[in-house]
Amino acid sequence: MPSRRLSPLLGLLLILALVVTLFPVFWIVMTALKPPTDWNAVPAVWIPAKPTLVNFRTLFDPEAIREYGVGGVSQSASAAVFGSLLASTVSTALSILIGLLAAIGLSRYSSGSTATPLIILSGRMFPPAAIAVPFVIIFSAAHIIDTYSGLIAIYVAATVPFSTWMLKSFVDDLPREIEEAAMVDGQSRLMAHLTVTMPLIRGGLFATTLFIFILNWSDFMFALVLSYGRIATIPVQLAKYVTATAGTLYGVQAALAVLAMIPLVLAGFAIQSHLARGMTFGAIKR
Amino acid sequence: MRKNQNEIQNVLGRYEAGQMDRRSFVQSLGLLGVSTFVANAVVQSPLGATKALAAIGGPEERAWALAKEAAAKATKKTLTVLIPTGSIGNMTPYTKRWKEELGIELKFIEEPDEVVHTKGMQEAVAKTGTYDVMMPTAMSYPDWIESGVIHDLTDWVKEYDPELFNPEWGVVFPASHHAQLYNGRVAGLLCDGDQITVLCRDDYLKNPDKMKAFADKYGYALGVPKTWKEYHNLAQFMHDPSNKFFGSLEYRSRYYVKWMFMQRLISKGRLYFDQEVNPTFNSDEGIAALEDMLALNPYLHPDAFSFTWSSNYNAFGRGEGFMNIVWPSGFKYSKAPTTGPATTGKIVATVMPADTLKDGSLLYAGMFCWGYGYAVSKYSANPELAYAYAQWMTSPTISMDAIPYLGGYSDPYRANHMLAPTQRMMETYSPEYLRTLYDNMVNTVPDFCLPGGFEYQDALDKEVHACMTGDKKPKQALDDAARTFDRITRKIGKDKVRKSWLALAKNLADPIKKASGADRWS
Repeated sequence: MPSRRLSPLLGLLLILALVVTLFPVFWIVMTALKPPTDWNAVPAVWIPAKPTLVNFRTLFDPEAIREYGVGGVSQSASAAVFGSLLASTVSTALSILIGLLAAIGLSRYSSGSTATPLIILSGRMFPPAAIAVPFVIIFSAAHIIDTYSGLIAIYVAATVPFSTWMLKSFVDDLPREIEEAAMVDGQSRLMAHLTVTMPLIRGGLFATTLFIFILNWSDFMFALVLSYGRIATIPVQLAKYVTATAGTLYGVQAALAVLAMIPLVLAGFAIQSHLARGMTFGAIKR
Repeated sequence: MRKNQNEIQNVLGRYEAGQMDRRSFVQSLGLLGVSTFVANAVVQSPLGATKALAAIGGPEERAWALAKEAAAKATKKTLTVLIPTGSIGNMTPYTKRWKEELGIELKFIEEPDEVVHTKGMQEAVAKTGTYDVMMPTAMSYPDWIESGVIHDLTDWVKEYDPELFNPEWGVVFPASHHAQLYNGRVAGLLCDGDQITVLCRDDYLKNPDKMKAFADKYGYALGVPKTWKEYHNLAQFMHDPSNKFFGSLEYRSRYYVKWMFMQRLISKGRLYFDQEVNPTFNSDEGIAALEDMLALNPYLHPDAFSFTWSSNYNAFGRGEGFMNIVWPSGFKYSKAPTTGPATTGKIVATVMPADTLKDGSLLYAGMFCWGYGYAVSKYSANPELAYAYAQWMTSPTISMDAIPYLGGYSDPYRANHMLAPTQRMMETYSPEYLRTLYDNMVNTVPDFCLPGGFEYQDALDKEVHACMTGDKKPKQALDDAARTFDRITRKIGKDKVRKSWLALAKNLADPIKKASGADRWS
C-alpha cells in the first residue's frame, strides 16, 4: 500500500500552490475592508489598520462612501445581485435539464447521427464576441433584448453544449444493465432514468451544475451587450464603479467581488462530497 | 420667451446705474423668471448686465422654452441619458428641477466609458429606443451619424441657437468645430473640454538650491517647460528615483500612449494624414517624436507602462513625480487635499510645450483628446425634448454651474468658463489654470474624429506601445501603423475619410495649418 505521508518537497509545493491560489482572494477581501485612503496607498496596505464596511454599504447605499469625500457613485448593486441570481439560477436549471435529456438520448438511444454530439458542441466553437452582435439583432427583432428572458435564453444556448457533453460522459460510464434491470422490474424508460440513472450520476450532475452556474455567474460579454439599463448582472456592475473624483473604486469593486464569491463558495461546500466523485467519475473507461 | 421684458430691462438699468446691490439684483431677476444661474452669471460677467443677459442667458432660455413645449406634448415622461460611468455628478443637480417644473424624469444609464461608443453602434442595429440622449466622445460622431443612430442637430441649432461659435461665450475654437461638427454639420454639443496640459511641482521650481543647480547645469533659469527640449531637461534634472520621485508621469500604457505620440507629432508641425489621407506620421517627424519619447523613458515613473488615468492621478497626488501630462480633471485631483495630499497648493500648469520647426520658429500645439458631448438618438420618442436637454445642459450659464460639481468629467470648454469664470469655477480650478486651458485650447488638434476613428487610434496606439516596450524600432512601428491605416481607409472608403479629414483640417488653428501645409490644401 503506498505511503499516505507527503514528502517535504511535495508538501512545500502544495503550500506554495495554496498561497498562490488564495492570495488573490486574500487581497480582494482585504481591499473590500479598506477605506478609500488605503486603496492605492504606496507602500501597499496589506491589512487595513482600521477596517471598514463602507465599501459593502456603498454597494446598496451609493451615498455611503461620501463620508470619505468620494462622490459620483450612483448605482446600487441590488439590481445586479438580483439579476445575476435570477439569470444564473434559471439558466443553469434549464441547461442541466436540457443537457441531461440530451445526454441520455445520445448515450442510451443513439439519437440523431454520430455527428450529433459534435454538432451540439460546435455551438461553443464560436467566441462569444463573434456571436454577440448577431444575437443583438435577433433579440431586438424578437423584443427580448434587455430582458432577463433574453439573457437566460442566451445563457442556456451557450451552456447546453457543455452540460450535454459532461453529462453524457457520466451516463456513458454507467452500466446500462442497471437501467435495464429497473425496466425488467416494470419501470418505464423515463422512470428508470429518473430513479436509477440520475441518482447514480448525481456526483457528475452536481459537478456539472456547479460548472454551468460558474459560467453563467461570471459571464460579462453577453450581459454587457444585451443589457440596456433594465437588466443588470454583477460582472457588468463591477465595471461601472468608476468616478471622476476618485477613479476606479477598488474597494467597492472588491466588496462586490466578495459578495459574488459567496454563492459559489457555499455551493462548493454544499456539494463537496459529490464534487470529488463528480470530478473523477469517468476517469477510468470501461 | 419672457413676457416681462420691460421690467427686466428696468432692473438691469437700475443695477448698471448702481441703484441696486448684487443680492437685490439677483433676487429681482429671480422674481421676474430669470434663473439663478443666469442671474449669477450676469452679475459676474465683464460684459455689463444688459449685454450679458441678452447674450449668455439666451441659449439656456431658448432651450428651456423648447423643453417646456416638448415636455407638454410628450407622452413618455422620461428622458433617458446614456452616460459614461463616473460622469453623473455634473447632471444629478438638475434632475429635481426637470421633474418639478417639466414633469420629466431624467434617467441615467451608466456604461463603462470604453463601451459607450459600442453601445451607440449597437443601438443602430437594435433600434430599441432606450436612449434619448447619448454622451459619446467627439470621435463617435462620424460613425454614429453614418450609421444613422443620431440626429443631425444642425436645424435645431439654427432654430434655437445654443451660440456654439460666439467668441465670448461659445465653445472655444477650434474645438467648437472639431468636437461638435461632422462634415460641417452639428452632430453633438460638447460638454467636456478634454485637453492635455503639463503640470509641474511649483515648490520644486521655487527651491533656491534647485534653481541654482539647474541654471548651472543647463544655462537657463528653472521654470515650467516652454519647449519639449526643456521638458526633457526638467524630467532629467528632477528625476530622483532613490527618493521615489520621478521626472515625469506621462503615459506609456496602452490606450493612452498614442496621445503622447500624437501630441509630439503635431508639435513638430506634422498631422496624421496628408491631403489625400495618406498617413504622414511615418515620417522623419514621427520617428523623431518616438525617439524623443524613448529618450524620456529613463526619467518616467516606473508605473508609466501600466498607468490608467486614475492610477496616474493618484501617483502624482501622492507626490511621486515632478511633472505630469493630464486632462483638466488631473489638475482638480492634484489641487484637492483628499486626492492630492502631496500636491495641493504646489502645482503650476502650462500649455503643452512647443517644438522648433525647420525655420527655427516655435510651434505651440495642443491635443483636444476625448471630450464628451451630447447627441440625440434617432430612436428617441422625444427627440426635441432630448435636444432641449442637450442645449440647456451645455448653455453658457448651466454649464458654468454644472462643471464645478464633484463626481463628473465635465471640464471648461466655453470661452466664458475660462475667461469670465464664476467664483465656484475659480475655486474648482484656479484663475491661472483656467487661463492656461484657454491658451492651450486655441491651438488644439483633434483626435481621429473621422469615420473609423477608433480603429485608427487603436492601430496607432498598438504600434506606439510596441515601440515603447522595445518590440519594434520607431520606423518599423510607424510603417506598420501606416499600413493598417491604409487598410482601414480602404475599408471605409477613401472619399468618405478624405472629405471628413479635410473638414477637420480646414478648421485647424492658423499656426498649425501653416506649419503642416494644410493651409494650401484645396
